Amino acid sequence: MDYLLEGLRQGLALLFPPSREVLQIVGLSLVVSLSATLLAAIGGVPTALFLALKEFRGKRLVVGAVNTALAVPAVLIGLVVYTLVSRRGPLGALALLYTPGAMIIAQALLAFPIITALALAALKGIARDTRDLALSLGANRRQLAVALIRQGRFAFLTALIAGFSRIVGETGMTLMVGGNIKGQTRVLTTAIALETMKGNFEIGIALGIVLLLVALGINIALQWLQGK
Amino acid sequence: MMEIRIENLQQAAGKQAILRGLSLTFQPGAVNVILGPNGAGKTTLLRLLGLLDSPAGGEIHYDGAAASALDRSGRTAMRRRIGFVFQAPLLLAGTVRQNLEYAGRLRRIAADRRGIDRVLSETGLAGREDQEARQLSGGEKQRLQLARVMLLDPELYLLDEPTANLDPLSVKNIEVAIQRLAKSGKTILLATHNLIQARLLAERIFFLKDGRLVQEGGVEEVLSRPISLDIAEFSAAENIISGDIGFSEGVTFLDSGKIRIEVASEKRSGRGAAVIRPEDILVSRQPIASSARNSFVGRIAAVVDLGVVLSLSVDCSGEVFTVFVTRHSFEQMNLVAGVDVALTFKATAVHLLPIE
Repeated sequence: MDYLLEGLRQGLALLFPPSREVLQIVGLSLVVSLSATLLAAIGGVPTALFLALKEFRGKRLVVGAVNTALAVPAVLIGLVVYTLVSRRGPLGALALLYTPGAMIIAQALLAFPIITALALAALKGIARDTRDLALSLGANRRQLAVALIRQGRFAFLTALIAGFSRIVGETGMTLMVGGNIKGQTRVLTTAIALETMKGNFEIGIALGIVLLLVALGINIALQWLQGK
Repeated sequence: MMEIRIENLQQAAGKQAILRGLSLTFQPGAVNVILGPNGAGKTTLLRLLGLLDSPAGGEIHYDGAAASALDRSGRTAMRRRIGFVFQAPLLLAGTVRQNLEYAGRLRRIAADRRGIDRVLSETGLAGREDQEARQLSGGEKQRLQLARVMLLDPELYLLDEPTANLDPLSVKNIEVAIQRLAKSGKTILLATHNLIQARLLAERIFFLKDGRLVQEGGVEEVLSRPISLDIAEFSAAENIISGDIGFSEGVTFLDSGKIRIEVASEKRSGRGAAVIRPEDILVSRQPIASSARNSFVGRIAAVVDLGVVLSLSVDCSGEVFTVFVTRHSFEQMNLVAGVDVALTFKATAVHLLPIE
């Protein structure tokens, strides 16, 4: 018990003031996970809107596929991205393996079904009504898009929060494609895993606290946006 | 005045056909009432006319312009000539004024104070502009929807049961607004299953059932001389008595097994249904001497207060008639449940429909 408290004390000491290394890890975590969330949203939000508004043959199949994708283990996505970006893979020429770029791609793929499925579920009740209202009042294509985004903003933000929360805490996949290279691809989760395995509990605890704070901070920020 | 003509219009939801080849022309600059039971296809038809959905087949012509020939911007331009009032009000979060301003902004129509005040007063919502739109009563929400459309001043109004389940004041407000719009030359398509409203507002009635046009015509024509039992049941649900048609001593009659009703008809035999409008039946305490051929004595089984008039259910030897009396006669005749009354109506007031 004592060593836990001691770890916590030392962990807190490491954060006040934070070292350059900690700051760099936090910064990279934010950049990678926020970029991945953004990328997933660029794909997921229009997909959800499309699925909520359009009736087409095979729609249920597509929705089913999105929901099934929620259950795909992160490590599998890691494997797929690894094969894609490894030197012999189809994207090998881009030399993305063990770079933040690869981590962003993998995390975006992980977040995409989460954002799509959650946005779709929340949009179901509002998309058709919003479309009917805007079109009946004579909205053009751009005005319709604006109306849908405005009315769906709660749905989208909720989906973004869930997506971000999932990927900022992801470890195995990020390690596979990022490599946890100090100063280059080391993020909060991979750093915690490494330090803990090395026996440096106090660093692990310190970074764990930071991870929680980051997740909390982003959630608060997004919820504040929702309230606006 | 916009003329709407539809040709063999079809729509389906999955494998279920909703409109099965509808062809008709609405009267420009008039209130066209689309009547029919639930599931007849009224909402589906209005949504197609509002260019909110695409038909599975057929064509809509707006002033001669085919809907299928319109490109995206053409459809938007056409929608701007059309106003749609949804059965379930679609309002945005925000105040009444913000809802009106949103519509104005979409169309770059300056929703200034005068315009807003005008449409609010025309829908009986004057002074409500700062209220939260979604907290209005059902009737007020519906009036706001209408006000929002009126602000945009379209040529064609598509009204989908705008008064269903509303309070009487809101119904009155909306009906008055509709009449005023019709007078100003707007083409109005009103889906309803409120008969009193149809009688009050319609210049032309289109009766739909199962996605088909059953009858089209003036109000009297459709409601008093329905060509099918469907319409009769729907429109005069009050008094439909079926039985065997017979002929004796120079008169045609319908024998229900309980009573015998004289009818003015060329028919001599077969099964039939007698349709008698409640307002064609005279109610008195004692049988009256009259040239009317049908007179029955019965007991008042129930009284329903409809406001200006009261509706009575009168049991005549087992056939229950619905009749209307004014409040004045109701009080003068001391009518209550259990009292015996005489019902009198002419043979010519009976509309006889054959039953196959």
